[in-house]
Amino acid sequence: MNKKLSRRDVLKLGGLGLLSAAGGVVAFNNTHALHNHPGQAETPTPETPHGHSGEDTDHQMTGHGLPGAGDVDHEANGFNPGEILYDFDYGKVSKLSNGQILREYEVVAINKNIEVVPGIEFPAWTYNGRIPGPTLRATEGDRVRIRFVNGSSHPHSMHFHGYHSGEMDGVPGTGPGGMVQPGEEFTYEFDAEPFGLHLYHCHVFPLARHIAKGLYGAFIIDPKEGRPKVDKEMVMVMHGIDIDFDDVNDFYAVNGIPFYYQNHPIQIKVGETVRIYLVNILEFDLLNSFHLHANFFQYYPTGTSLTPSHFTDTIIQGQAERGILEFTYKYPGMYMFHAHVTEFAELGWNGMFEVLP
Amino acid sequence: MTDQIPPETKNRFTFQTFILLLLPIILLAGVIFLFLQTGGGLDLEAPVPIENLTIERYVLTPDQIELQVQNTGPDELTIASVIINDAVMPFTVSPSATIPRLGRATIHTEYSWTTGEAYAVRVFTSNAIPFDVEIPVAFVTPEPEAKTFWGFTLIGLYVGVIPIFLGIFWLPALRTLDKKWMTFLLAVTVGLLIYLGIDTLVEAFEQTTELAGTYQGIGLIGIGAVASYLLLDMVGNMGSDDRSASSSRLSIAWRIALGIGIHNLGEGLAIGAAYNIGEISLGTFLVVGFIIQNITEGLGIIAPILKDKPSIRNLAWLGLIGGAPAIVGAWIGGFTPSPFLSVLFLAIGTGAIFQVAVEIWKMVQRDNEKQAMPVYTFNGVLVGMLMLWVTGLLIK
Repeated sequence: MNKKLSRRDVLKLGGLGLLSAAGGVVAFNNTHALHNHPGQAETPTPETPHGHSGEDTDHQMTGHGLPGAGDVDHEANGFNPGEILYDFDYGKVSKLSNGQILREYEVVAINKNIEVVPGIEFPAWTYNGRIPGPTLRATEGDRVRIRFVNGSSHPHSMHFHGYHSGEMDGVPGTGPGGMVQPGEEFTYEFDAEPFGLHLYHCHVFPLARHIAKGLYGAFIIDPKEGRPKVDKEMVMVMHGIDIDFDDVNDFYAVNGIPFYYQNHPIQIKVGETVRIYLVNILEFDLLNSFHLHANFFQYYPTGTSLTPSHFTDTIIQGQAERGILEFTYKYPGMYMFHAHVTEFAELGWNGMFEVLP
Repeated sequence: MTDQIPPETKNRFTFQTFILLLLPIILLAGVIFLFLQTGGGLDLEAPVPIENLTIERYVLTPDQIELQVQNTGPDELTIASVIINDAVMPFTVSPSATIPRLGRATIHTEYSWTTGEAYAVRVFTSNAIPFDVEIPVAFVTPEPEAKTFWGFTLIGLYVGVIPIFLGIFWLPALRTLDKKWMTFLLAVTVGLLIYLGIDTLVEAFEQTTELAGTYQGIGLIGIGAVASYLLLDMVGNMGSDDRSASSSRLSIAWRIALGIGIHNLGEGLAIGAAYNIGEISLGTFLVVGFIIQNITEGLGIIAPILKDKPSIRNLAWLGLIGGAPAIVGAWIGGFTPSPFLSVLFLAIGTGAIFQVAVEIWKMVQRDNEKQAMPVYTFNGVLVGMLMLWVTGLLIK
């Protein structure tokens, strides 16, 4: 925001010289502002908690000059990132005549206003009324049948990553499943393969907008023999929220709500084995990342191998990239996890593990 | 005729007039009422809420950033989120996060900012509409206290008072010039004033960008400029018949002083406000250039009265009227910056300056009638304009 110099600017320039000459420059004397850390600052009790005019004060969880936003109304939203974390949809299981396992899922596209940060509702497009959509989970070789109902006012589709025939690809031009009109439905059906961590999303034009509005979810295909047993499995879908539709993300989040896991640390125990299914479905920004504090994790890119490729504490994922993390905490305490694309962290992509002894 | 109408009829007639005058207003009230009730058959529901938030001022204190905002949109709005340099910050709003139309509020955040750095603040309303303000250089916002007060006073002195008096000190020397050169000087003054008037007008327009749309900045400029022009014109013409030539020349000098004074008040407001938001970079040498440029303002004030012998008292007052408002402006601008006042005073200054330019132009024309010297006039006006332009080049 460069301002061109005008005659008045000259006056201004002259003016400051004088002001400083007069010893009247208070401004530059107050350097102690430099030395204060936010944590040390005395926090006055806020008169009006933001967003909600004073009815409850626990919205001020982060009232210490630290970045963050308070809690949203999860009940009105109809979902809670604390539950999404552990929520895996295995479908309705039955057996086909050829012995193959059949999993049937039902996904409905719904327009829904979601309070993403206190006081701001995002007019989202959702699968099953939540962001991200349900975490669909099957085992390699299963027959999956996803009945997709479009209950919204726009045409949508479900495009799965993985092997399937062209007409099951959920892309306009590939048949009736490519663009399901409002009020109509389509059943996607294919064998779940290859094993790994995948995702699904709407593929109707304009693509970036259809994804950014909330139409995405994780799709896990477990290997036939399964993965080694762990104590806790979680799913984390990293995404952005462009609340003013300028194709720039205003907030970043994991599982729908910015700062949720900062405000509500995820509790695990010392020595517990943790597996995270991490999916990046960020739009408008090229990269996202995951950094775990005071720890290292085994990383399985796309989950397509049972042998980890990395032992690290930070990984980067491009758009639609995903991978599986496995780790254990040695010591109790509060440990942060966040995007090490740090500008995302203070806009919502920040969380805590509370490791209990 | 009047004999035939009984007195009561006359009264009834007056009452009737009153009713008739009132009738359209009553009907208007009815129409408004109906419109508000039914929407008049128009589908006036905006698809997207229209909101406007004017961030009037920011105040920085150690570890705190405060925004003073006004809701200048058509409906009430609610502040929902504050983002400083890409970090969502907790905040409080007093008196309330929900601000009625044209209501004001103060958004308060704790933020350990660093002196000299830049900050971009974004405020989201509950309808996800962003409003941005930039803090180009962060430093503690000056508060009214003896030291800063004196600082702003000094600024005003240098910006307004001293250059004008320096210009006035030319009077004894210029008085010895012959008539041709005096006319030339008058033409120079016209040139100076035209340049200054354009400059003031442009600044007024620039300031309107800081002003909320509701205040119709451009219209405000029109009102201020036209009103001050006509007012000075009226004052100048009052009793001009029974006034001697010299007193009417002195009257023009008063008006030039007044015009330049109001201009300097506007300048002072802008300087103070600019200082307040740190839009000033250090550079004492520029003050010198600035004084050189503004000496011309003093010259302009005395140009019409070169033939006369104004008293020291009058000269002192002329200088003060022309220069001292810069001090007042710096105070107001420094402590309670108001784009509204800046626009208004710059507009008033514009009108006043153009009015005296026209007035002096008439003097030049009168001299021309006695003895034609178009070249002097042409050169004079151009020299006047070029003086400001060239001195401007020197210091930019």
